[in-house]
Amino acid sequence: MSGMFGFGRPQPSSSEKIAAAEQEMDLITDMFNKLQQACMKKCIPKTYLEGEINKGEGVCIDRCAAKFFDVQLKVSELLQAEAAAKGGAQGGGFGIGGM
Amino acid sequence: MDSLTASEQRELQSRMERKQMKEFMGMFSNLVTHCFDSCVDDFTTKSLVQRETGCVSRCVKKFMAGSERIGTRFQEQQAQMMNQPPPGR
Repeated sequence: MSGMFGFGRPQPSSSEKIAAAEQEMDLITDMFNKLQQACMKKCIPKTYLEGEINKGEGVCIDRCAAKFFDVQLKVSELLQAEAAAKGGAQGGGFGIGGM
Repeated sequence: MDSLTASEQRELQSRMERKQMKEFMGMFSNLVTHCFDSCVDDFTTKSLVQRETGCVSRCVKKFMAGSERIGTRFQEQQAQMMNQPPPGR
């Protein structure tokens, strides 16, 4: 991960740290956006007869979010298992959270 | 994520602000597309009719409400993940 953009900075470790923090923020933002897009699409009908989230839609969103996280975890597990099966799982970077 | 110096904090901060601006623009254009798609498909008039205006405002309102609710669930999940990191590390 070092020296990816190693333009002769005085403190490379500083820019690396910032980049890491930035990357984590990106990951979280991206995750949130994906979740929102997915669950709004599945739970909110496009007719807009009302401006509030009704009870059914709210419950749908809650469950959708929970399942989205489940799938995230499941996929990450499966990918890790795959990588492990392919031999010598060298800490494949598919774990979510905690970099 | 520990120990960024003050100047690093400031750099990160300014990057985040730029990013947030970009995020907002993206969200705005997404929402315009979505509400336009959902509410407008009659082109026998030149400007929005009352029904369409109403639909758009409900669309935006509902998007905000949904966004807030999803945000809450998301935060809960993040907090939970912090407390118990996934096994296999």
